[in-house]
Amino acid sequence: MLFKISISGIKARWKDYLVLFSGMIITTAIFYMFEAISTNDKFTTSSPVGQNAKIVFIFGSILLAIITLVYVFYANNFLMSMRKHDYGLFMMLGAKSGIISKLIILETIAIGLISSVVGIIIGIGFTQVLSHFLAKLIHMSLTNFSAFYMPAVWTTIIMFLVLFIVAGFLNARTFVKTSALELLHSGQQSDWKQPKSLTLWIQAILGVGLLAGGYYAMYDIQRLKLMAIAIGLFTIVLGTYFVFNSFFVMLLQAFQRSSLSTKGLNSFTLAQLKFRIRDYTKILSVVSLLFALALGAITVGTGFQNMVPKLASGNGYYSVAITNPNDRMNSLVNQIKDKSTITYQQKVDPQAKRVYYRADQLQQQPLKYSEFVDRAALKSKVSTSKLAEFKHVDSEAYQELSSLQIPKVKAYQIKVVSAQTFNQINTRTNKLLLVRANNMDAAATPLTKITNIQSKQYGDQNGQLVGGSFTMYQLLKSVFGSLEFMGIFLGIAFLAMLASCLMFKILSGAASDKVRFDMLNKIGTRRAVLNRSIIVQILGLFALPGILGIIDVAFGLQMFSRGGLLVGGAYQTFGITTLGFLILYLIYFAVTVLIYSRIVVPKTKVER
Amino acid sequence: MTTKIVQTEDLHKTYDKDSAKPYEALKGISLSVNEGEFVGIMGASGSGKTTLLNILATLDQPTSGSVEIDGQDVTHLTANQMADFRSKKLGFIFQDFNLLETLTAQENIALPLSLQNAKAATIQTAVKTAAGKLGIEDLLGKYPTQLSGGQKQRVAAARALVSNPSIIFGDEPTGALDSTNARELLDTLTNINQQGVSILLVTHDPFSASFCKRILFIKDGKIGDEIDAGDKSRNEFYQEILEKLGTFEQ
Ligand SMILES: Nc1ncnc2c1ncn2[C@@H]1O[C@H](COP(=O)(O)OP(=O)(O)OP(=O)(O)O)[C@@H](O)[C@H]1O
Ligand SMILES: [Mg+2]
Repeated sequence: MLFKISISGIKARWKDYLVLFSGMIITTAIFYMFEAISTNDKFTTSSPVGQNAKIVFIFGSILLAIITLVYVFYANNFLMSMRKHDYGLFMMLGAKSGIISKLIILETIAIGLISSVVGIIIGIGFTQVLSHFLAKLIHMSLTNFSAFYMPAVWTTIIMFLVLFIVAGFLNARTFVKTSALELLHSGQQSDWKQPKSLTLWIQAILGVGLLAGGYYAMYDIQRLKLMAIAIGLFTIVLGTYFVFNSFFVMLLQAFQRSSLSTKGLNSFTLAQLKFRIRDYTKILSVVSLLFALALGAITVGTGFQNMVPKLASGNGYYSVAITNPNDRMNSLVNQIKDKSTITYQQKVDPQAKRVYYRADQLQQQPLKYSEFVDRAALKSKVSTSKLAEFKHVDSEAYQELSSLQIPKVKAYQIKVVSAQTFNQINTRTNKLLLVRANNMDAAATPLTKITNIQSKQYGDQNGQLVGGSFTMYQLLKSVFGSLEFMGIFLGIAFLAMLASCLMFKILSGAASDKVRFDMLNKIGTRRAVLNRSIIVQILGLFALPGILGIIDVAFGLQMFSRGGLLVGGAYQTFGITTLGFLILYLIYFAVTVLIYSRIVVPKTKVER
Repeated sequence: MTTKIVQTEDLHKTYDKDSAKPYEALKGISLSVNEGEFVGIMGASGSGKTTLLNILATLDQPTSGSVEIDGQDVTHLTANQMADFRSKKLGFIFQDFNLLETLTAQENIALPLSLQNAKAATIQTAVKTAAGKLGIEDLLGKYPTQLSGGQKQRVAAARALVSNPSIIFGDEPTGALDSTNARELLDTLTNINQQGVSILLVTHDPFSASFCKRILFIKDGKIGDEIDAGDKSRNEFYQEILEKLGTFEQ
């Protein structure tokens, strides 16, 4: 009987359940995706970073598990806020608390189970699509990778089932402890206490001061070293909390005192926002910090990626060196748009371990080489070689030319001889084609094909790479690629989950706000005015932690650029990643407004 | 010649009209409330009291029939016109949760005027006047949590008064109060009424009803009976209501 009522209760609010389910399913899918990619040995060991990447991924996994925990907590609260009334009613009707507990536990676990299973299935699909998309984006090959990975399925199922079983028991316990009457009228009281203005002032000053201190510490990382991170972490966490608990409250109070607040619903909107911010201080602080972390992860990840071409071209002027290019090679070289090429004749004497070049050719078309002038700023200088330089083994020009030989010849000695001497050497004449792609990112596809053919042709003997800076480019791409992959992945996952935490928190309060909006409707508030008030309130709750998070990142990046970790590139991707982030965040904001209005705004009985 | 504040003509309300089981909650109600009157509407549960009040208060529209408030036909207004009409012409006192906890008494009282985008100075004086009528000038800076139940209801009454409404509506306003606070609120309403404000109260509590000057009894969506306090004392009127209910319920 109770089971039937329970089901009908769910049916009546199926739209809210839909939100809950979709949120849970996406969380499970994200968790699975990350597990599938990070724990899959095929993926991690086949990439050059191998074991190092694995550690980074495990660290990411733990972070993800923590935020998932927080997420499930908020989703669960939302679930309970929907069910409180029904269960309170059952208890009024005299249902034994044992039966109620059983119902609650069953319902919670059922929701957990359904969303885990659906989430994993969707997660497998996501993994398939996203891994290829991202791999392409960062020129990383995922040859051995399969989206379905049994250990990841198990980890996900166990993780979520345990979470939901715990949540179920916790829910049951809170219910049995609360009286039926309290449950029926739950959330209808809000005990707003006007905070003392002295406390507000102290906290506001402290908050702003702590934030400023933290930002300064990150800025001054060169002097403070590791201490900068410790100081920054401590002061920013505490400062964020105080800023929400008081600074923003005072700001709103200032608005309230202005003449602005006597217009329309402004006084209500401002007061409500002020109340919410104080009530939500903890979650808003967490959202702000996680927002910063997620945005930071993506920015730094993509920032590293942006350094790759500079790093690589500083290591060698020519992108690829092709010995005796055939037609296929030539056509691949032709596909590179913005380039310069040089061809030299070459003769190899394996007995003497020598390789000969013609002085006249090196004179006419001098070899160029690049070297870092400022490693920290990734500035490199391009120089033109002089013939005399090739006499010294340790000259830059000699080293550059040597590095452009095929692996076997790299160890040979380079001899620059006159055209006459060259012609007398009794062995085959080779052609060495040097190609410089001015934009390696744009030319990545043909360059990759060229190096693939070369490594098949020569193998990588003694760990020697085929000549040219593009191999360096590829190596760096794959190292930073997995960093970027994780940055983007974790960043989006974090954002999605923290935004839905905020969404569920706001929606959990909707039931109790309904009374207030009912009253406002009765005293003659237009619907459009009600809706505007809702938008401003929710916008405030979303925007404030977002803005603070963006400021955190803006200063946090100082740590990377001044600390010399992310050279020159720290702020390059900041604008784009922030924009992408804001768009995602806005979607959550819009969904929250829609659902909240649906719950809270009284239906006009007029529109028939 | 007395002005009629509320006048309805053959009011019908059918719920779920297009469904398989339409339900006619009001079956032709004609009533009027004169300026300065204190009218009660009584009836058993489900008799249609709230339905009637919602229509009078422009929160719902009748299926047929007309409603005139302060000389204006309110049955054909748009949603926005209705909202504006409520904020200018009507006052409300509810059973519960009258006040917004995050606003001071002053701000709560000012709300209806803010909605009409009145000038700050106008609002200031209107709030002072309304608070004066209810003797709560000292409480204006306080938050609802700092007020007693009776004080809260007086603040709510001041908010209902602040825009000089043509009439104040109350649906079981004493429903959630203990007897002391209920008594206090009813005295306050009587006081407001004596200053010339019309009041229409829906209740099924005979004690509350005994404060009214005239009572309409609703049964099955129709007005069944009507009694007048005339010069009777409140206690005598209370006895009469009890008797009436006794015979009426059968
Ligand atoms: N929205 C609605 N849809 C369908 N029927 C309704 C609706 N609202 C009320 N009714 C029905 O109309 C009738 C009158 O309801 P109303 O709420 O006006 O009664 P009431 O006199 O206020 O009762 P109470 O004293 O219990 O508050 C009831 O039978 C009720 O079931
Ligand atoms: Mg009713």
